[in-house]
Amino acid sequence: MQIIISNNSKEPIYEQIYAQIKTHILKGELQVGQPLPSMRQLAKDLDISVITTKRAYEELEKNGFIYSIVGKGSFVSEQNNEMIKERKMQVIEEQLTAAIQNSKEIGVSRTELIELLTMLYREEE
Amino acid sequence: MFNLIWKDLVLQKKGVMILLPALFGYIVFNPSYIWIGIVFSIVIIQDVFAKDEHSSINKLLNSLPYTRQEIVTSKYIGAIIFTLLVALTMIIGGMLIHKEIPTWKEIMLMVSLSMLAVSFIFPFSYKFKSQYILKAFLVLFVVYMIVITIFIHNLNDILREFVQTILTLEDPSVFLVMILSIMVLYIFSWLLSIRIYRNKVF
Amino acid sequence: MENVIELQNVNKSFKGFQLKDFSMTVKKGFVTGFIGGNGVGKSTTIKLIMNLLQPDSGTISIFGLNYKQHEKKIKQRIGFVFDDNIFYEHLTLTEMKRIIKRAYSNWDDNLFRYYVEQFELPLNKKIKTFSKGMMMKASLTIALSHHAELIVMDEPTSGLDPVFRREFLDVLHRLMENEDKTIFFSTHVTTDLDSIADYIIFIDKGQHVFTKESTQIEEEYAIVKGEKELLDADTKKEFISIRKSNHGFEALTANKNRIEEVFGQMVLIEKPSIEDIMFYTKKGAEWHV
Repeated sequence: MQIIISNNSKEPIYEQIYAQIKTHILKGELQVGQPLPSMRQLAKDLDISVITTKRAYEELEKNGFIYSIVGKGSFVSEQNNEMIKERKMQVIEEQLTAAIQNSKEIGVSRTELIELLTMLYREEE
Repeated sequence: MFNLIWKDLVLQKKGVMILLPALFGYIVFNPSYIWIGIVFSIVIIQDVFAKDEHSSINKLLNSLPYTRQEIVTSKYIGAIIFTLLVALTMIIGGMLIHKEIPTWKEIMLMVSLSMLAVSFIFPFSYKFKSQYILKAFLVLFVVYMIVITIFIHNLNDILREFVQTILTLEDPSVFLVMILSIMVLYIFSWLLSIRIYRNKVF
Repeated sequence: MENVIELQNVNKSFKGFQLKDFSMTVKKGFVTGFIGGNGVGKSTTIKLIMNLLQPDSGTISIFGLNYKQHEKKIKQRIGFVFDDNIFYEHLTLTEMKRIIKRAYSNWDDNLFRYYVEQFELPLNKKIKTFSKGMMMKASLTIALSHHAELIVMDEPTSGLDPVFRREFLDVLHRLMENEDKTIFFSTHVTTDLDSIADYIIFIDKGQHVFTKESTQIEEEYAIVKGEKELLDADTKKEFISIRKSNHGFEALTANKNRIEEVFGQMVLIEKPSIEDIMFYTKKGAEWHV
């Protein structure tokens, strides 16, 4: 699991960790039931304080991304609808970004792209 | 606590190894055991004391799992051990060099007088600093010289005679009373040192 | 959560210095950094925790025990590092170890050897030839070799080069993988705290200023920069301290969210270092340069 934190960002470190682990889960890189590194291990590896990872894990647990078992550690939760939605959104974003990049390469303008999208959307309905 | 005494013995190993042979040398020239024994005992005991006197060493000893009472007590027990070590060296030295060992009275007197001196030196050193002991000795010496030259010209002889009288005393009970009172004084001094050391700031 | 160190309403006065009604706690399983300027009472507090000093009033308990009845029991479980040399200078590290080893029932020679190798310490050189960094490594080695649950350190990083400071923090990080360990250390090198401290206790002029989680500091505090025209009687209330110059102002706030609401995009909001927090808190109110 890759986690890259910036000490200079305005965003608190625990939020950076929270966001990155969340992304890993939503992208499916971390699977349901898979164990996360222990808070203390992660703190050591990232060279940050234990309380920071603890806080990140608490937020992840509060929002249902992970669950923890005392003495065993933390695991990726089964995702609920909200999360599946969020995960799909992420995929959509990625695909749209790709579409935008392709459009730019061949000079399709934003308006043209939106028109195309609206047209395709109607066809699906 | 015995770890602390062991520590002093280890730290003083080199010093003792130099001083005790030196004691042999003295015995060759001068078989007056009592005074030499006292001087050697006190020098060794003071040296042990001075090694632990730095506030940084006090910080170490007091941060280790020892109580202040143990730290002081170890010094008092250690002082007796070092004195006995000197006495033992004198016995061996006397045997080897003069083919006669000091009498038990001489040994007892030497040990008692060393303990008497320690009884005063330790509380003083805990209260102030052992380096002042030297100054205190100098002052005492000057006072002694003044007393000899001005007031009692034959004080030296009186003292020597006094010691001789004690040594030739046939009645052991006087001897016993003397040793007992020094022991009481030693214990009193030990309690006083604990009291002083308890409130020390490092 | 369990408290390993607890000071309650502790008072201690010396000539020209006073620790006033001082209370603090250190939680088990975490690293607590103790910050403050020179001569504000950090060392005094550490000495009180080590029972090198007794308080005039108030209570001190370590592992829930008091020193009156459990002095040896408590000290068996503490490893300590001071910023000065507390060893016999004319001894070698091996000789020093032999002396200290006997004091602890849990001494572990393997652990000692492990740290000696890791820190590349000479075993047979006299301690008085040690550099400041080596001295510190030697102290740390001794402190960590008896499975102490609580490590108390007084200014461990002062006078150390940056490379060794990192090594030192690494050792602490590794130690904290074990959730039964607790570390308490004072420092004025506040960058030490950024990566390791879970809690920060700030002392000033013998008084407790705050105890906060480091994440809480990240969330609440911010350095705000903007034009002086933005400051008025109302907006000034949001700041702990304001530094004004001819070109604008810089200020510390303990209410980052509120500032974002009030000023929005009109100001620059930055993450403060612990040094910033110390500096502004000590300065107080507002001043002009």
